[in-house]
Amino acid sequence: MKLLFLIKEGFAGFRRARLSASLAIVTIMLSLSLIGIFGILVQNLSQQFHQLYSQIYLEVYIDPSLSSAKLQALRRSIRQYDTVQSVDYISPDEAWEAYAKNFGEDIVSLLDENPLPPSFRVLLNTQYTELERIEETVAKIDALDEVDEVAFHDKLIKFINKYYMLGLILASVLGATIFFISTLLIFNTIRLTIHSRRDAIEIMRLVGATGRFIKAPFIIEGLLQGLIGGLLASGMLWLAVDIAATLLSLPDLKFSLPYFLFMIGTGMWLGLLGSYVSVGKYLQY
Amino acid sequence: MVEIYNVTVRYGTRSVLDAISLKIEKGDFIYLTGQTGTGKTTLLRLIYMDVLPDRGNVIVDQYSSANIRPREIAYLRRKVGVIFQDFKLLTDRNVYDNVAFTLQVIGAPQKEIKAKVLAVLARVGLNHKRYHDTLTLSGGEKQRVAIARALVNDPFILLADEPTGNLDPTVAREIMELLESINRSGTAILMATHDYEMIKSFPHRTLMMEDGKFTKEILPDAFKDGEPLS
Repeated sequence: MKLLFLIKEGFAGFRRARLSASLAIVTIMLSLSLIGIFGILVQNLSQQFHQLYSQIYLEVYIDPSLSSAKLQALRRSIRQYDTVQSVDYISPDEAWEAYAKNFGEDIVSLLDENPLPPSFRVLLNTQYTELERIEETVAKIDALDEVDEVAFHDKLIKFINKYYMLGLILASVLGATIFFISTLLIFNTIRLTIHSRRDAIEIMRLVGATGRFIKAPFIIEGLLQGLIGGLLASGMLWLAVDIAATLLSLPDLKFSLPYFLFMIGTGMWLGLLGSYVSVGKYLQY
Repeated sequence: MVEIYNVTVRYGTRSVLDAISLKIEKGDFIYLTGQTGTGKTTLLRLIYMDVLPDRGNVIVDQYSSANIRPREIAYLRRKVGVIFQDFKLLTDRNVYDNVAFTLQVIGAPQKEIKAKVLAVLARVGLNHKRYHDTLTLSGGEKQRVAIARALVNDPFILLADEPTGNLDPTVAREIMELLESINRSGTAILMATHDYEMIKSFPHRTLMMEDGKFTKEILPDAFKDGEPLS
């Protein structure tokens, strides 16, 4: 009976204070949208960086006189390093073809024979992108007897790492600031909503309602506001992302399920916490 | 029933109540009178433990201010009815729901709530307006709803803080007659007022307050002898 009454009161409070409840929902929706937009932008940027990282590879030039069996053994040796994602063999002919493609048939025709050695193209795991780790791997591979030389784009790696770190720091600071401001905004709106009903809280206290009993309908109301605000923000973002992906031709730009769950969860959590803290102020005893 | 022993309440450095003692028994009707700011409201708030004493002790039923736990205060308030000058009604509910709310918060069954609410509304003469919005009621009717809400839990004491302060003289008399009938059924009443004419018309034990102290006690019979109040 009591629980049913509390749930009914939670929904009824929502209906009774339509204006303040609507204001709270709009605030939650806008705040969560802001957090969501920021999250999607960061995720997209991070994906771009990972794409760059996935293009980092080492060119391992090997002794041309190696037998096929030794070549396979060398390949397995390189593959076993945890920093290595894949090892592809590039024959002198394939290298020659690629060279001709890049520099033109004219230069190639000047040479009598193919001077390019066989090599392995070693792709690295994107989680091992620190220059030190890459240099360690390069040193290990270079130390193998069958390897003549290892080449890699250290300047490019330094460049990507520098901007990735900078982006990460900026995104963290900006993200924390947006989250903090949004939380404050949501808390303040809920506080005002509850403040406008302080008389009702006082009456509940006077007639002998316990603290928990007084809090419960406000918490249910806060949860409901958070849920609706989160759903609206998700819908808005889903639409915005869909339009942006079409207009900017970005097929990877997606509003995924984890985002949807995060928006709803954050909305409900902030609604619950905001109500709990705000109503508690009126319940000394 | 209610015993107040040597109680002092301070707001900051100012003593609002200064070493006050009072005992209220079943069926008592006591007026607290005096100028605004003499401590009448604070004394009422002490009894429903909206404020706790800085010194001394308040005992209400089996609860003592010296060792009451915060969560027990809600249970104490279910035994004490309170009414105010500004009625303090829930304006977003009708008359019935305002009164029923008191029983809903203690988890009473729906059947019991209905029976008790209808009985108490009949007692205050508002059964015919039970589905009316409280905003459409007159001042006197609002106070009757407040009284019904205070009585529906069958409290042993009714605390009334200037209950006729917002009402015209005719309606105020009707409210006083209602309070008298409630008192005759055994409910103790402690009423703060500075309406001396009302006290003379409905004489009861009267405690005059000044600077947080009782300065004079007038017994009902003294009013017949023309005892001055101020």
